[in-house]
Amino acid sequence: MVNIVFKFFIAISCLLIFRGLLAEPLLDGADFDYGEYLSGQCLTCHQSSSDEGIPAINGAEALYIAKKLILYKNKELENEVMQLVASALDKEQIASLAIYFNSLEK
Amino acid sequence: MHNLSRRSFVSFALASTSLLAMPAISTGSARPKVVVVGGGAGGATAARYIAKDSKGAIDVTLIEASKHYYTCFYSNLYLGGFRDYDSIGHSYDNLSANHGVNVVHDWAISVDSSARKVRLGSGANVSYDRLVLSPGIDIKYDSIDGYSVEAQTKMPHAWKSGTQVKVLRDQVLNMPKGGTFAMVPPPNPYRCPPGPYERISMVAHILKEKNPTAKIVVIDPKNKFSKQGLFMAGWEKHYPGMVEWIDNDTHGGIKNVNPETMEIETDLDTFKADVACVVPAQRAGAIAMNAGVTDGDWSPIVPASMQTKADGNIYVLGDASVASAMPKSGFSANSQAKVAANHIRGELTDSRVFPAKFSNTCWSLVATNDGIKVGANYKAGEEKIEVVDKFVSKTDEGNAKRKKTYEESIGWYNGITTDMFS
Repeated sequence: MVNIVFKFFIAISCLLIFRGLLAEPLLDGADFDYGEYLSGQCLTCHQSSSDEGIPAINGAEALYIAKKLILYKNKELENEVMQLVASALDKEQIASLAIYFNSLEK
Repeated sequence: MHNLSRRSFVSFALASTSLLAMPAISTGSARPKVVVVGGGAGGATAARYIAKDSKGAIDVTLIEASKHYYTCFYSNLYLGGFRDYDSIGHSYDNLSANHGVNVVHDWAISVDSSARKVRLGSGANVSYDRLVLSPGIDIKYDSIDGYSVEAQTKMPHAWKSGTQVKVLRDQVLNMPKGGTFAMVPPPNPYRCPPGPYERISMVAHILKEKNPTAKIVVIDPKNKFSKQGLFMAGWEKHYPGMVEWIDNDTHGGIKNVNPETMEIETDLDTFKADVACVVPAQRAGAIAMNAGVTDGDWSPIVPASMQTKADGNIYVLGDASVASAMPKSGFSANSQAKVAANHIRGELTDSRVFPAKFSNTCWSLVATNDGIKVGANYKAGEEKIEVVDKFVSKTDEGNAKRKKTYEESIGWYNGITTDMFS
């Protein structure tokens, strides 16, 4: 009986976390395929295996990527290349990139 | 029963269509075929993305004469002693091993666009459903009086990376004490707009250390150039009094060069050099000319897809294309390749096609830890690729930022070569 209650508790927790993620406004409208296409622009510079000169972003948290891109878009983070890249991305594109890079292996 | 009959009918209809269509499909293969000519920043990227993203649904053949590709970008850093030669060489092995690309080391000689076939140097024909041409540039040897294929060992253009850059480096290292290095940059449009001026910086870097009384004279067929303020301020800061840049209005035009006497004659004066780098005018690689997809020296393209305006089955990428506002750079070619790859995949496998998005950044090294950059975003207009937004380094930014820009360029070099060859 305890076991069943525990499983139920875990299931409810997972559901709430999942709903929480979906409800995250920064990731609204995310489209995995679109993210894969858009990632081509990032992969000209960002590598999966090295941080030399330019940070690796594969497997980073989706929210972390989205927030960083918004900071670059608002010019609150420095780097002309990233400000330029982010300035051309709308909300859906940022969300799509965020979930795509999150899905890649580090 | 009714459903089964309808399915049978559909299968029969499809089979009939295929049979009827057979004579027109020259591949004879179940998988659609893409042939890519040229394994540089445009071609290698296109081959890799089409093969990788179609997950085997498209048969991709890459035709490239060289077994090892030496990048044009960073070849100036080899010239200046910042990289060794092997570090700018790359193999195509991973494209076959990791993505199933059929890499054929041969020259593409001609294109029969009605039969959709590419003829190779070996005499073999390769059929395609879509053809991607990314042949880079050809040098117009006759654009400067006195210059020729033979002249290029005495006055190397070194504008296609590889052994010519080695020749030029040896010549600079062995230049007489207090001698003159002359540079004749190409007229617009040409591969790598900041390239001649980064090259001057790298030669100055060597001479400052090994031959400090030597001079550099730049006899330019243009009156202005890319990142001009940044380069000229950098030359004055790092190599004071060494570099003299003479614009076209001042020298009045380059009349001829003489590889025997090492002279460059202009309306103003005749310049005698100990070492001369002469970069003539350029045009699209010969195969683009041969395929009938050029207008004048370059290939006009449809901005949304990189298809040529002349033939919807043929795409042209990179230096050979008329990409309007986008410079002829490795970064641009790599960016255009992804747009073309997405479009080709959509045409051949019905995958989703997303709106074209282009970008470019060109990093240049002026001196040790002094990197500068220029970049832009682009969109596909109806007729042209158009600038959306752009930036350029500032002359008054600090040393720490310049060092960071150089380090960023190393990251980019590793990134783009991984994106092309991994």
